[in-house]
Amino acid sequence: MRRTRPESADHRGRIVGLLGVLGLGFVAISGQLLNLQVLSGEHLAQLSDKNRLRVRPVAAPRGIVFDRTGLPLVDNRPAFILAVVPRDAPDLRAVLERLAGLLRLPVTDLVERLGRVPADSPWPVRLARGLSLDQVARIEEWKLDLPGVSIQVEPQRAYPTAHFAAHLLGYVREASESDLERGRGRFHRGDLVGQSGLERLHDDFLRGRDGAERIEIDAYGRPVRILERQEPVAGAHVRTTLDRRLQQAAEEALGAQSGAIVVMDPRNGDILALVSHPAFPVERFSGPLDRETWLALIEDPTRPLLNRAVQGTYPPGSLFKVVVTAAALQAGLITPFDRLPCPKTWTLGDRVYHNWEDRDRGALTLREAIQWSCNTFFYQLGLRLGPDRIGQMAQQFGLGRLTGSGLAGERPGLVPTPAWKRQAFHDRWHPGDTVSFAIGQGLLTVTPLQMVRMMAAVANGGTVWRPRLVERIESADGVLLRHEAEAVQGRVELAPVIYDFLREALLTVVQDGSGKEARVPGIAIAGKTGTAQTHEFRDTADRKRRDRDHAWFAGFAPVEDPRVAIVVFVEKAGFGGQVAAPIAREVFKALFLEKVASAGRES
Amino acid sequence: MLRIDRRLILHLDWLLFGLTAVLLALGLMTVSSLVPRLGLRQLLWLGVGGGAALVVLSVDYHTLARWAYAAYGVGLLTLLAVLALGRAAQGARRWLSLGPVTLQPSELFKLVLIAVLAQYLAGRQGERAGWDRVIVPLVLAAPALLLIVKQPDLGTGLVLVPVVLALVFVGGARWQHLGLLAGLALLCAPAVWFLLHGYQRERLLVYVDPSRDPLGSAWNVIQAKITIGSGQVWGKGLFGGTQSRLAFLPERHTDFVFAAFAESWGFAGAMGLLLTYGLLTLRGFEVAAGARDSLGSFLAVGCTVLLASQALVNLGMVTGLLPVVGIPLPLVSYGGSALLTALGAVALIANVRMRRFA
Repeated sequence: MRRTRPESADHRGRIVGLLGVLGLGFVAISGQLLNLQVLSGEHLAQLSDKNRLRVRPVAAPRGIVFDRTGLPLVDNRPAFILAVVPRDAPDLRAVLERLAGLLRLPVTDLVERLGRVPADSPWPVRLARGLSLDQVARIEEWKLDLPGVSIQVEPQRAYPTAHFAAHLLGYVREASESDLERGRGRFHRGDLVGQSGLERLHDDFLRGRDGAERIEIDAYGRPVRILERQEPVAGAHVRTTLDRRLQQAAEEALGAQSGAIVVMDPRNGDILALVSHPAFPVERFSGPLDRETWLALIEDPTRPLLNRAVQGTYPPGSLFKVVVTAAALQAGLITPFDRLPCPKTWTLGDRVYHNWEDRDRGALTLREAIQWSCNTFFYQLGLRLGPDRIGQMAQQFGLGRLTGSGLAGERPGLVPTPAWKRQAFHDRWHPGDTVSFAIGQGLLTVTPLQMVRMMAAVANGGTVWRPRLVERIESADGVLLRHEAEAVQGRVELAPVIYDFLREALLTVVQDGSGKEARVPGIAIAGKTGTAQTHEFRDTADRKRRDRDHAWFAGFAPVEDPRVAIVVFVEKAGFGGQVAAPIAREVFKALFLEKVASAGRES
Repeated sequence: MLRIDRRLILHLDWLLFGLTAVLLALGLMTVSSLVPRLGLRQLLWLGVGGGAALVVLSVDYHTLARWAYAAYGVGLLTLLAVLALGRAAQGARRWLSLGPVTLQPSELFKLVLIAVLAQYLAGRQGERAGWDRVIVPLVLAAPALLLIVKQPDLGTGLVLVPVVLALVFVGGARWQHLGLLAGLALLCAPAVWFLLHGYQRERLLVYVDPSRDPLGSAWNVIQAKITIGSGQVWGKGLFGGTQSRLAFLPERHTDFVFAAFAESWGFAGAMGLLLTYGLLTLRGFEVAAGARDSLGSFLAVGCTVLLASQALVNLGMVTGLLPVVGIPLPLVSYGGSALLTALGAVALIANVRMRRFA
């Protein structure tokens, strides 16, 4: 190995240079030590001597979620918080036991809340939220026996009703251990964090930034005076596209049945209402959940945690005939003037396929087939089209993919293709698959949100919108932080006459067809009903039972200038025309007769 | 190989040894006074580190440097392994579990990087200095820096920067090149901002405006300042420190150990500690200037700058002059890997000095 001497003079010079640079650092530190220990030493020693200096977090109020007219959907109200500073409680266990007695809570709950916080922590730990006045009075009464315990007032979420728009708005909870881990210092123990829906989607905006108070406390941990207060920064306000009154009307229309309703503005993709039932009680979720409530919600067979509008995937049934019709007209396989038979049954190979009604309607035009939702007609049409052309049209209408709503847990549904079936089932695509596909059964699944978007695309002439839930976010003092423009996700390119035909055919469905129950006098409503089988029929008697079918209605109004598109989905409830259409009627009534702001106002 | 030449013992650097011993003793004392259990552990680490230092001392640094490139390769792989399967603590993956102990490879890698750069630069001496004198060291350092920052261990990554720059500087890079490099670095500074993790950005922001997070970083800084200041001129005595003993001070035995020390021993003690680091730095540079060859000189410069800049950054952070980045005080803070590294650095400097006549 070559051993060299460095270029001597310059080398030494550079080492001295380095020494000089580091020397500056040493001088700076000496200066700071002189400043801290000698010049400000006395003052800092005083602060330390008091040893009774605490920093108390001041929770920032979460941002408010408004509807499109400026009505609050979620608000804050002050709530009493019980907190303890472990360091100020010499015998923490005894204090907790006393508290448990006063609050009539099991002491293990309180111990659990304390978690892994060290016994000498100077930080307040929140033990309970939302105390009643009665509980507060009892604690104040015993204050002297409860060193380190304090009652604070913090803003807490308030919802119009327990279940109102629960899935859409979501809920907040104290940060869990995994939140803290993932958040990497974004939040502290005890902070409220959005866990689902809009609360989660826009948590960063809604949360705000906590402030703090530096307080002096006495030997019992009671504040003596506030030395310094740093105001919290309130969370930003979220202006949604929802219409609170319409949302309420839709929730009432659905009533106690399991299902979903989504109302969309076909002109820009705004979601005016989004209902999923059954819902979970939002308020109870915000506090500490007890084991029973948790298990009850998780194991509930009606699945209240599932947001059926975006997380539920179901066969669309006859709603899908809209897609098949569009594909057949576009391919030139049929014209509005051609006729196909609509018999009671139709046979393919050795299998017999039934229409939903027990009567032969003779040869129908395409429009009549849609009007009466004739399955046997569409079997033949679908078979001629083939799965690829149907599937392509379905994808153009936005099926089989996420809509881009941003809601957590949204599912894409499935548009089956022969290639996909081969891969997933190791089975080839049978003509029977095409037959089922043509009436929206079989492997095809969709979400209600996708269906309303499809209807909106028919209404507006082919624009597939990205659903918009939030229009803008503004800081508490009114600075615009974010504006979400309307966004197009795709376009369905069809000849304008095809859209005209579809709109007209869907109008007859409601005026004098399977969707009659959705009719509202004076308003031109277009729509399509759907009844989706969820099981294989075993025999004829079984086929007549409809209580296990999903009921669908999707439509838009007014036909001449569509301002709303709607989907109603009712789980395992029967015929779409009998169950879903009347619910849609109630929503249309609320929209057009009761002068709900969104429908009357131009955007 | 472990046979130690008697002549070498005669040339052992007693001043360096003494300064190191003072720092170790002060650290051990402070850590034990705060958390006695950890004091004992630190003593164990000291035994391990002392043994390692003896090994480093006994092997000629030329022999050590020949292994530098191999160690560098192994080191990079280890850092990758840490990213893949390291133990996470407080959201960062820095540690590798080896049975009962956990190691922080990024700490030990500092020495490997110094050795590689010294070896490279020594081989280039006597040639006309070109761009390679600047670029190659940076290229050697870059992957390690990226891996370390990714762990994320911003502090360790940060102290490597002055070490690399110092070696490039004394390695004979031309002034024009250094100037251009500085200009480029200034231009790149904004990009670094986007590479940082959210909490790291927050810490830097808190440095500029401590009131941003009165419960988090600002609390650490405020409490550290109160703790140091309350020691005043003569301190409160070893067990008189109320601030640090009463848990007001976070990380009081690791990164913020100096605050506890300054509380106990006051301005006098703190200046004494600072002076000890100063003398250690001076001695290190003296060894570098008087080394037999450029390899020895560069090794000594690298190790000295490592120890000194680490001490300065830590002290700057604890006294509130610099943003809070997790860097231990070398030879004083509790922590096994850091202690091993610091002892290794001291041993390398002593190694160079011992063999200056050989």
